Amino acid sequence: MKFALIDSDHSSAIPQAAQPVIPIEKYTLNNGMRVILSRDNAVPVVAIYMIYDVGARAEEKGRTGFAHLFEHMMFEGSANVPKGMHFKTVESNGGTLNGSTHPDYTDYFEVLPSNKLAVGLWLESDRMRSLSITKENLDNQKEAVKQERRLSFDNRPYQTAIVDRWPELAFQNWQNSHSLIGSFEDLNASSVEDVAKFFKTYYAPDNAALVIVGDIQIPQAKKLIEDYFGDIPPQPKPAKPDLSEPATPTPRSDVYHDPHARVPAVLIGFPGPVRRSPDYYALAMLDILFTGGPSSRFQLNLVKGKESLIQYQAEMGWPFCSSTDYKNPGDYAMFLLFKPSFTPQQIVDQAQEEIEKIQKDGVDAKELERARTLLRSERITALQSSLHRAELLGKYEILDGVPELINTDLEKFLAVTPAEIQAVAKKYLTPERRTVLQILPAPPPKENH
Amino acid sequence: MRIAAFLPLLAGITLMAQTIDRTKPPETPPIPAFKMPPVHESKLPNGLSVFLVEDARFPLVSVRLSFQAGSKFDPKDMPGLAGMVASLLTQGTKTRSFRDLAEELTSIGASLDGHASPDVFTLSGSVLSENTAKLLELLADVALNANFPEDEVSLRKQNRKQALLAQRSQPAFLANEKYDALVFGGHPYSYIAPTMESLDRMDQKSMIQFRDTYLVPNNAVLLLVGQLPPRAETLKLVRDHFASWKEKPVPAAPAKNFPESKRQLVLVDRPGSVQADIHIGRLAATRTDPDYYPLLVGNAILGGGANSRLFLDVREAKSFAYDAHSELDRRKDAGVVTAVTQVRNEVVEPAMEAVLGNLSQMAQAPVTAEELSDIKNYISGSFLISLETQASLTDQIDLVKTMGLPDDYLEMFTTRVRSVEPDQIQAAARKYLAPEKDSIVVLGDAAQIEKSLEKFGPVQVEKAK
Repeated sequence: MKFALIDSDHSSAIPQAAQPVIPIEKYTLNNGMRVILSRDNAVPVVAIYMIYDVGARAEEKGRTGFAHLFEHMMFEGSANVPKGMHFKTVESNGGTLNGSTHPDYTDYFEVLPSNKLAVGLWLESDRMRSLSITKENLDNQKEAVKQERRLSFDNRPYQTAIVDRWPELAFQNWQNSHSLIGSFEDLNASSVEDVAKFFKTYYAPDNAALVIVGDIQIPQAKKLIEDYFGDIPPQPKPAKPDLSEPATPTPRSDVYHDPHARVPAVLIGFPGPVRRSPDYYALAMLDILFTGGPSSRFQLNLVKGKESLIQYQAEMGWPFCSSTDYKNPGDYAMFLLFKPSFTPQQIVDQAQEEIEKIQKDGVDAKELERARTLLRSERITALQSSLHRAELLGKYEILDGVPELINTDLEKFLAVTPAEIQAVAKKYLTPERRTVLQILPAPPPKENH
Repeated sequence: MRIAAFLPLLAGITLMAQTIDRTKPPETPPIPAFKMPPVHESKLPNGLSVFLVEDARFPLVSVRLSFQAGSKFDPKDMPGLAGMVASLLTQGTKTRSFRDLAEELTSIGASLDGHASPDVFTLSGSVLSENTAKLLELLADVALNANFPEDEVSLRKQNRKQALLAQRSQPAFLANEKYDALVFGGHPYSYIAPTMESLDRMDQKSMIQFRDTYLVPNNAVLLLVGQLPPRAETLKLVRDHFASWKEKPVPAAPAKNFPESKRQLVLVDRPGSVQADIHIGRLAATRTDPDYYPLLVGNAILGGGANSRLFLDVREAKSFAYDAHSELDRRKDAGVVTAVTQVRNEVVEPAMEAVLGNLSQMAQAPVTAEELSDIKNYISGSFLISLETQASLTDQIDLVKTMGLPDDYLEMFTTRVRSVEPDQIQAAARKYLAPEKDSIVVLGDAAQIEKSLEKFGPVQVEKAK
């Protein structure tokens, strides 16, 4: 792989080579499908990433969990790929695959030995063109999703509170606040007609982007993509759901008694800024000061120092998003696991106290410089994986229409100043805008013998 | 509007596109082999083995300093000591406080963490390549001069206790804990975490003693992978930081005493569980055993990936579970093969039958030619893909150097997988997969599922701790 250096012409704080430059070739097929190619011949691997511009926030009332159920249906076969053959074809060609449902998009990938590119394109195009939508497949996947819910949520500590209760508290518009994994009742109510309609509305080429990263030859890849996807008909652009939240947030709080939890936790969140606005970059840098790396303030002051926290996570868009796929309306939220010798209110106060220190005293230049280096190092490390590069390119395309941000967005984070960080702490992270969910261990259910 | 405008064009494309055959997967060439980068090997006079691998793809360097000092070397009354030492090494040295270390690491874009697996104790680091020299300085300071400050030891003990409580709320942890105890018997492989009591016993003194016994250069491998400085310069850095380290005799590893495999069925009672975690399996071959490759391939046909027998039967055909797979735990002195699934309470009995049936079937009949060819491609391709990033390449080379594997292990892996024949798989399956002597652990709500288990043998019910 060859690296050019980013020409940084506007800030001395930015290192000359902030990150390796990822080559990008973007074009659109006649049916409206966007294509992004990035060649890297260093290892014989290719990542194929298909991202659709629909997620769980587009679900309708009475159909919670539908986007995720539909994602399962995408593995159940299509006109030329019999049931079960999707997995089998990828694996017998030495590849790995998966799909995942997010609030604002749904994605699918295959990572394959690079000379198997055509196999992945054949599979992705066949299901976009001709998904098999049958009652048998639907019933089978309803059960699979219920099992997934039992395994990943209902039987584990904290998860049900995070996936079901937290969104209800953090958001007021139903589109944002409903459960993304869905209720068993709504899953049962979904019909074959629902699936067919969702497929036609959202799984059209002009509502998707295809990203290919890795050991490819560009002309050959373009020819294959045209052959496999070029004649899939476009559909009318789907209407976008209204996701707007009340302009003035109010403080909200609740207590969730979790029968599986043994250690208490609190979730704290604040409605966040507009994606890729100056405030967004500043808040993301503030998050690194709070929780990034071993010298973060939460580590030094709360895990050490007050010795109250055991573990912490925080993100723009937590728990379903990170700063890369944060989309409005979103929040900045944190999950704090703490020692039972503290009360939840003490933990909330300690977190708020850390915020107040920034609001009052601002940020030390050396501390910010460390945060920048940490971010740069983490970004470069993540870029090693061809799948990660493909995901970033696809998300920047679907969320911003600008895949080139993979090469330039880092500079925006690195250019954030101490004053900007102090300003967002004051503007966004106030108790008046705060949502708090306590998760407390509940006594175990009564034993029967 | 835009769409209407190009509809005529689409007709033309359709004609062109008809030249490809969509009805079957396209023909593609065979999966390429993994090409091992050159490894430069040397040894310091104090016995430290040093391996350097150039990887110029990204401006990063990965470091591993690994010792034969995993948790199997824990003192008998202090399970979990190696893990605690590993996590405390980076919490302070003679000249650097935790804060100093944390700030210095962050300021060079580095990470440095200690970890103890059952066999190996590893300090893992990565760094922006321009700061490689500084990371080596910090690595050496941590490895040679950690001083286990009393307050850090005490805090780490408290937090580990809380984390242990949190782990005890995870069904997978509780099931694994009981399963490993059954399979490994009295060997130190048999525990997966410290206990409250062992944590109470640990102190600065026991940690220093562990460090001084096992973390010595003649018991260690240093591996550097990435955009390294020129070789002579890199080796000089290594000598500068590690040459003063004193070699010392190291005690032998614990004897490889493992119990005979036999059928035993334990139900770990976790009231309120909405599903049952099922683990079925036994001791099996290690990576250096002649049976290893047939077992690896057979295990993958049984339960590796979404095309495996367990996945297709238990999840796809019967809808009992979201996950059904089998796994090979490959420790240095013993392997373990285990079929794992989590099913809803009402179907525990047919799900157990399905898993046991699939295990027996592996021993009773040879695998089909198609299964074998598919799985060989799957293993070869995933192997290639798994080596894509520098961190994973570094971990694999570290594995070869610390687990006593042949130097050509990575390069020959695919060839050895491809040479496995159906009769070898069946022979390995008779030895390791036939379930008659398997240990079975089911974790779930005993009130709901105990009856469903009775037909599989005497059920020993234990409360989840």
